[in-house]
Amino acid sequence: MKNKYFRQLKQLKPREIQTTIMLAFSVVSISMMLVLGVILYMRFSNSAREETINNTQKLMEQTGENMEAYLMSMRQISDTVYYNVIKENDFESHKQEIQSGMNLLYEANKENLRSIALYNDYGSLITAEPVAAQKEDPDVTSQEWYLKAMEEMENMHFSTPHIQNLFNDTAQSYYWVISLSRVVELTNQGIPQSGVLLVDMDFSSISRMMKQINEVNNGQYYYLCDSNGDIVYHPRQIQISDGIYDENNKRDSAYKDGIYDEVFNGENRKVVVNTISYTGWKLIGVIPYSTFNHGMVNIRYFVAILILLMTMMLVVINRVVSLRISSPILKLNYSVREYEAGKKPEIYIGGSQEIRHLGYSIQKSYEQIDDLMKKIVLEQTERRKSELDALQSQIHPHFLYNTLESITWMIEGEKNDEAVFMISQLARLFRISLSKGRTVISIKDELQHAQSYMNIQKIRYKNSFSVTFDIDEEVYSYCTVKLILQPLLENAINYGVGGMEDSGEIVVTGRKQEDKIILAVCDNGLGMSEEEVALVLTDSNRIHKHGSGVGLVNVNSRIQILFGKEYGLLVESEPDEGTRVSICIPAVPYTEENRKTLEKGHIIKSTGERE
Amino acid sequence: MKKDKKMFILIEAVLGTMVIILAFIMLREKNEEQGYQISVIVENSDDKQWSAFKYGLKMAAEDKEVEMAMVSTGTTLSQAEEKKLIEQETKNGADGIIIQPVPGANTKRMLKKASGKTEVMLIGDAPQDAEEKIEFPVVQPDHYEMGKVLAEELLKDYGGNLEGKKLGILEGEENSESAISREKGFTEVLQNTGAEIVWSDTKKAENDGTDFLESKPEVDFVIALDDNSLTAAGECAAANNLHGAIIYGIGNSTEAVYFLDTGAVECLVVPDMFNVGYQSLTELANGIDKSSYKYKRPQISYTIMRKENLFVKENQEVIFTMSQ
Repeated sequence: MKNKYFRQLKQLKPREIQTTIMLAFSVVSISMMLVLGVILYMRFSNSAREETINNTQKLMEQTGENMEAYLMSMRQISDTVYYNVIKENDFESHKQEIQSGMNLLYEANKENLRSIALYNDYGSLITAEPVAAQKEDPDVTSQEWYLKAMEEMENMHFSTPHIQNLFNDTAQSYYWVISLSRVVELTNQGIPQSGVLLVDMDFSSISRMMKQINEVNNGQYYYLCDSNGDIVYHPRQIQISDGIYDENNKRDSAYKDGIYDEVFNGENRKVVVNTISYTGWKLIGVIPYSTFNHGMVNIRYFVAILILLMTMMLVVINRVVSLRISSPILKLNYSVREYEAGKKPEIYIGGSQEIRHLGYSIQKSYEQIDDLMKKIVLEQTERRKSELDALQSQIHPHFLYNTLESITWMIEGEKNDEAVFMISQLARLFRISLSKGRTVISIKDELQHAQSYMNIQKIRYKNSFSVTFDIDEEVYSYCTVKLILQPLLENAINYGVGGMEDSGEIVVTGRKQEDKIILAVCDNGLGMSEEEVALVLTDSNRIHKHGSGVGLVNVNSRIQILFGKEYGLLVESEPDEGTRVSICIPAVPYTEENRKTLEKGHIIKSTGERE
Repeated sequence: MKKDKKMFILIEAVLGTMVIILAFIMLREKNEEQGYQISVIVENSDDKQWSAFKYGLKMAAEDKEVEMAMVSTGTTLSQAEEKKLIEQETKNGADGIIIQPVPGANTKRMLKKASGKTEVMLIGDAPQDAEEKIEFPVVQPDHYEMGKVLAEELLKDYGGNLEGKKLGILEGEENSESAISREKGFTEVLQNTGAEIVWSDTKKAENDGTDFLESKPEVDFVIALDDNSLTAAGECAAANNLHGAIIYGIGNSTEAVYFLDTGAVECLVVPDMFNVGYQSLTELANGIDKSSYKYKRPQISYTIMRKENLFVKENQEVIFTMSQ
């Protein structure tokens, strides 16, 4: 199973270098960009979240301070009415002063105040500002503010918002107020008695403050509740009491100041709590988690678009880069393929230094291969040519004609024994010449061939020269190229001793020197000058005056083709002294195996090592 | 073309298409944020009886993030005027209209025409039409139930015995479905209780003032079945021109509450107009949002108020919505 996938994966491997580079670049760059994008987005959203919370906190602190300032001013009004107006005056004698004092304070704070009223301990109205007709039976003593004031006489009490149920309003309206009530001591006809001072604050002041901060319509909102969790202000107050909307006010009110995480009705949200002094009210800011995402949606799209655009750009850049890198390689590859197909021999050289170097190397090696090929072809041609020459020499028609004519003469002159000897020598000569088509024969056979040849020539030349074979026996069993001595002897007769009368002498020697065999043909003929010696082995176009036409050059090259360049002929000559031509070949023992190896064109050194 | 070049062009094309799609979605979401426009057409739109209703509309508009506009209308609204207003609002690009249907023979036809162009929500039953049998989404209090409850309260006060008592019934809009239902509910309960309905009349706009009631035959109870009638009766009673008749009624303005508070009215049944406003707009916004939306018919509650319990917490909240 695993292998199957691995195989499939292997098949997917791109085959072109450009695709590989581009793919690798793209994968690396795009994944880096994605990681970077995600990290940046997360950092951004986190900091945006923190900022939202910080802003909420600051806004709440400010609103809390404003609210405290407002409540403080209400307390101050209450204090002023109590200490400066009520406590200072007797209701019997200073009614006017009390009324005007209260009026002054009311007028100064009219915007935030609904009324200031003073009730006695039976709940009857003593005085009120603004002066208004009291309702028939407002049942003051059972109203919450009165009860609370009476309950804890030493404190001031802020009520939750409620409808003021004290005075008849000619506009037939009902006002929402927050009551600040306290028990006061007043003097009536010189008799101290207690009463309840009520300062009704207009709820609209607080609701205005709350509305102001609730204007942002992104799901975030602020509400106000008392320490028991009863809602003082909520943007969805009626919906909550109608059961359309839910609020976690009971729990939130129990929190101390700070930031809390909570899950309410399946929604994650952050709750920021700030306590308002004097009242114990809690100003609560609610930030549902969806608020954080509210402004982020567009940013998400923006980031996605940015990533896509960058990817598009990267794909273009990656393509350009991969093209630049791979193009020289591809061109080089293409030119090599063209070369292999036999179309264009030029190898592309370009691109970076490494590729150029590769191009140069490939070009150079191809050139070398070309040269070698040419050389091989040339050598092969030469080999064939020299072999053909050798073959031609074996059946030189002139030699054959002369020999046969000599035999004819012998028979006619009734020299039958001589004729028989001549024919048997000729037969041996041909046998060895043919040697079953072999190129390599033993030295013994070669010498036999040379002897037969010399015997025929001696008869033809009427024994005008002598031939001596001085051969070490040990050399017989080594390999040699066939028919190499005959051209040498032919030359010795033709150019050396042929023209001499009786004193011509040809000596054939054979020696083994270390790992070489040296066969030499020496004559005491005319000899050659140094210039002539120099030309003997180099000028293959020399016109042969006599002989089979197979020059020393041919013998030399045949030896070298078979045994290597270090072997061949050595010509030494002195004019009027004679000539010595030495054959130098490696000492390769004559075996069937060695013969075949040599004939196949492998060079065998004298040590038996094959190249 | 080489294979890799083809692939390159394909990748670029796919990425480019994705960018365009994302940009399109981004722009569309931005446009969607603008929200719908909803217009509200009710008779005498500036009257205090609509305060709670308007407050409900406003709250729902905030919650649903729609734009709400109250069309200003006069004390009376004829069918022709209503038709003109609907056309005008549709032309102004209102996605939905909340309409208080005026009584009239062709109201349903007119509303049907309007509903072809925009979403329509009613806050009262349109008059039955023999030819047109169309159901419109409606949010309204149970008028019949309110009439019934008012009668039951009256009976409760007198131990179920109204033998020899005379009643005068004052209705709101003549021939309006709500007035008919309320009266039906009220009279059905009072059957066989010995109470005699001396008169039953409609308080028309031209009859404003106390003279109209003063001229009516003397009765023991005046039953005012809508806010306008109740405030008129209240005023009359406050001026002591009702010959000592006790008022029972249905109302939803601070005036009505005031008359109850001052003792001019004995018992008041208050429909939850805040919820009528809130629910009608919410339902309508849902309807505009999804064309396949099935309108619900929310239950609208009512509160029975008496002087004794006028300022209990629950009632304070009802008064709060009226005072907005």
